[in-house]
Amino acid sequence: MANSFTLPLRPLLEKHDRSDSLSAEIAQISNQWGSFRDVNEEILRTQIAKEKEQDGTRDDEEGPEADTTERLEQLYKRRAEITQFAMQAHMETMFALDFVSLVLSKHSPRQAETSMSAFLKQIAPLGSLNSEVVTPPPRSDSARKDVSVISRGWRIQNFNSAANKLLSAGSRLEKEIASETRYWKEVLEVKSKGWKICRLPRERQSLGVQYGFLEAIPIFRDRGLACLRRAEDGGLVLDKGLVPSKARQVRVQVKRHDQIVGCSTLPRPTSNDPESIEHRILQARDTVFEEELFHELIREARSMAMHGVTTRQNLIRIPTSEDYEILIDLVDANDDRVQSNLYHSQQDLLLADALALSIRILLSYAHRQNLRRRTQAPPPLTPKRRPVPEYHLLRPAIAYFQHMSHVRWLESFFKDIFGVLQTAGLDSARYTANFASTWKPTHASRAESPVEEFVEKFLTPLESTFSGNLLTPRGTFIVTIRTNLASPPFGTNFDVSFDMPKYADLKSPGRIGLKDEVEASITHLLMLDVISTIASHGQPTPKPVPDSKESETWDVVYPHLGELLMPSSNPERHTKMKVALSRSDLSLEVYTVRNIDGIGRGRWELRSEGSKPRIWKSSVSMDQPSLMDFVAVESSGCQ
Amino acid sequence: MHELLLFASVPVHQRHELLQQLAGLTAMQPRHCLERRLIFKAYRKPGLVTVRTGASQDLQSAELQRLNKMLNGGMYYTQVVGSVSEMDFGGAGAAPPGPDDTAMTDTNDDANAPPADQYDYAHQPWRLEFRDIPEAGTRSAVTARVMSSAALPRGDIVPPMNAWGYSFVTEYVVEGDVFIHNDIVIFLHRVLHYPTTDQEYREPRRQLPVFKDMAPLEKSGSYVLQASITVQDGSNQETMKTASQHLFGLREQLKSAVRLEQADRLSLDTRAK
Repeated sequence: MANSFTLPLRPLLEKHDRSDSLSAEIAQISNQWGSFRDVNEEILRTQIAKEKEQDGTRDDEEGPEADTTERLEQLYKRRAEITQFAMQAHMETMFALDFVSLVLSKHSPRQAETSMSAFLKQIAPLGSLNSEVVTPPPRSDSARKDVSVISRGWRIQNFNSAANKLLSAGSRLEKEIASETRYWKEVLEVKSKGWKICRLPRERQSLGVQYGFLEAIPIFRDRGLACLRRAEDGGLVLDKGLVPSKARQVRVQVKRHDQIVGCSTLPRPTSNDPESIEHRILQARDTVFEEELFHELIREARSMAMHGVTTRQNLIRIPTSEDYEILIDLVDANDDRVQSNLYHSQQDLLLADALALSIRILLSYAHRQNLRRRTQAPPPLTPKRRPVPEYHLLRPAIAYFQHMSHVRWLESFFKDIFGVLQTAGLDSARYTANFASTWKPTHASRAESPVEEFVEKFLTPLESTFSGNLLTPRGTFIVTIRTNLASPPFGTNFDVSFDMPKYADLKSPGRIGLKDEVEASITHLLMLDVISTIASHGQPTPKPVPDSKESETWDVVYPHLGELLMPSSNPERHTKMKVALSRSDLSLEVYTVRNIDGIGRGRWELRSEGSKPRIWKSSVSMDQPSLMDFVAVESSGCQ
Repeated sequence: MHELLLFASVPVHQRHELLQQLAGLTAMQPRHCLERRLIFKAYRKPGLVTVRTGASQDLQSAELQRLNKMLNGGMYYTQVVGSVSEMDFGGAGAAPPGPDDTAMTDTNDDANAPPADQYDYAHQPWRLEFRDIPEAGTRSAVTARVMSSAALPRGDIVPPMNAWGYSFVTEYVVEGDVFIHNDIVIFLHRVLHYPTTDQEYREPRRQLPVFKDMAPLEKSGSYVLQASITVQDGSNQETMKTASQHLFGLREQLKSAVRLEQADRLSLDTRAK
């Protein structure tokens, strides 16, 4: 009770003045009770219970002392006690001050005098007390021995730990040296293999290796530089930043009838050690090349929508003919599923491989062209940015496919129609085909290296020619097919020209875009040829006798309709022959007409009795009489 | 068109190193370049019709005013530039037999039968290059001037130039290496003088002397590094600013090698007094 009793020195204020700020109170509380964080319900409950208990006991104990007089008495007593304590403390302090002042007064009397009490000054003269340092008594032997043993132990312990630290530092340095040596050796190895080593532009203290293509567009050019970091053991780590390190490749697939029949073979890693740095650099280079290739393919494919090329996020579809389609996509290089399919057609495999190779060659060519463009004097600066044109990667291949399909068509057409003529016994007409004549070496080439000169040829328009002789002497024809996808006019053009002395005023049809028109014009041309042959056939003898009315020759009356006429002395019995030529057959019909002017056509035409239209088809066997025999028979029959 | 330029002086011993640095910076091999430069001076032809000026000014049509301005405007020196190769030098009879010409003795032997690859003045292509005096009072730290180039007919260029009112003054040769860095043309070059002979040339040489005899104008043989960028429309502040930014960028990149700076304006004065 006495210990816990506290006595206010000042009179208790009736009203508690809350001058303390909240923060001060919080500080006070946390000082008294600790942090709020430690307060939980349980603690608070126990605290409250404890306080209650104390209050209870206090109430119990204070009960008998409720007497105020007794309480006052005790209060005065306590106050006197406190005052007494304070007085005593003051006195002792003054004694100490006097003592110290007296000791100091020997050395600095003036200063010490100020702090001396008057009483001391009276009874003791200044400087009458001195002090000096005394050596302590020597320690005992055992104690000294203990100290020396302990200190020796300490020293040994410290030496040991220092030695350990030095040794570990030494071994660490040794390891560091070994790994640095290995790192630099590998860097030098990489350099000696011809890779370009340089400092990274943004991270000056580390080395990088340049494996990309300087002429690629900036995104891919900048990706061609990777950091060479040191692994724990000193090995090289190729740090490509955020770019995933997966190897990817462009794959070309050939699809026929909704079924994939051919796929380009993906190149296998050349190095046998997949973990070597050389291999990883090569793989990084290949991947950046392939990704650029695909990027450029997509860019080009988007501009080729007019050719039916469609793009998806990771797929380019190129329809080349009705049932053929080429798919190009970007796949992971080590995906085994890709290669697992079995393909039956060797030709489709070759096609896919050839296309896969050609787009890569053309991208390299485009890089070379970029270098050339970059090193030429630049045009003046304008506010407009120069657009980057798409590379020609797919266009040459598509042009080739398109050209091939047109050439094949024309070839089959010529085969059919000349087959018909041959069945009819007209053998003298011949044709020759010359595919892609422009692929012969050109002399005027801008290219500097033979390789570029070679590749340049793929980018020129394709041109094939079909030429041949007609039945009439000195008659020739030439059909030229041009396919150009690189520059306008886009697409394929047929250029039909012929030289027929008989129809000197007939103009060549010139440039034709449609297959049907080409077929029609060539058929028409050959029909004219057949007609003129028939007309000239009846004149083996130089000149018919003028007075002979029964001339045995056919006159060409309407050459463009395929009509010939054999005039007769009887005006009612002229004979007319109609020739019709198509891709599949040649037909001859003989009519008897009563009138030969152009007006009465048709009305007066009567089919000759006993004469049926004669048809030659290319598929029918050759044992039937030839056209000329038939003409001869008909001519004689008319007489 | 406008041209923005920065120049630096390169001592001869630094040239090789700088070539390598520039090759690294521009990622291309230097393109060696030799040019004949003929200086022509414009003169006013006597007997030109001078249009009345004064009271009747308002009667002049805009066309006439323009013509008048062109005829009475400032006169300039202009350059005619022709690219040559080192093979073209040392042609037979290039110079009259001089006292110092030891090389001439062996070229004189085949003077009667000149080789096919001899310098052919009659087919020399030319280019007219006009450069104005650099603009004054520009705050920017680059030299900017109006420029224009035009192709000229091949062969003897003096008659057409005379017809246009230019007279031949002198000629010299520039040899150097060109680099292209984005839009900037970097030209590390020096001026070579023809060997001095007794004869004074009043028209361009038809034969070129031996290349070894060409003497650099600057006796120490030092080179000039010129970084230039052309701008289509000089009145477009935006592009002019972009162009100077590009030049400043190059200056920063080359800071440790050479100090590119603005040229003295009056040293590039092309006006004919």
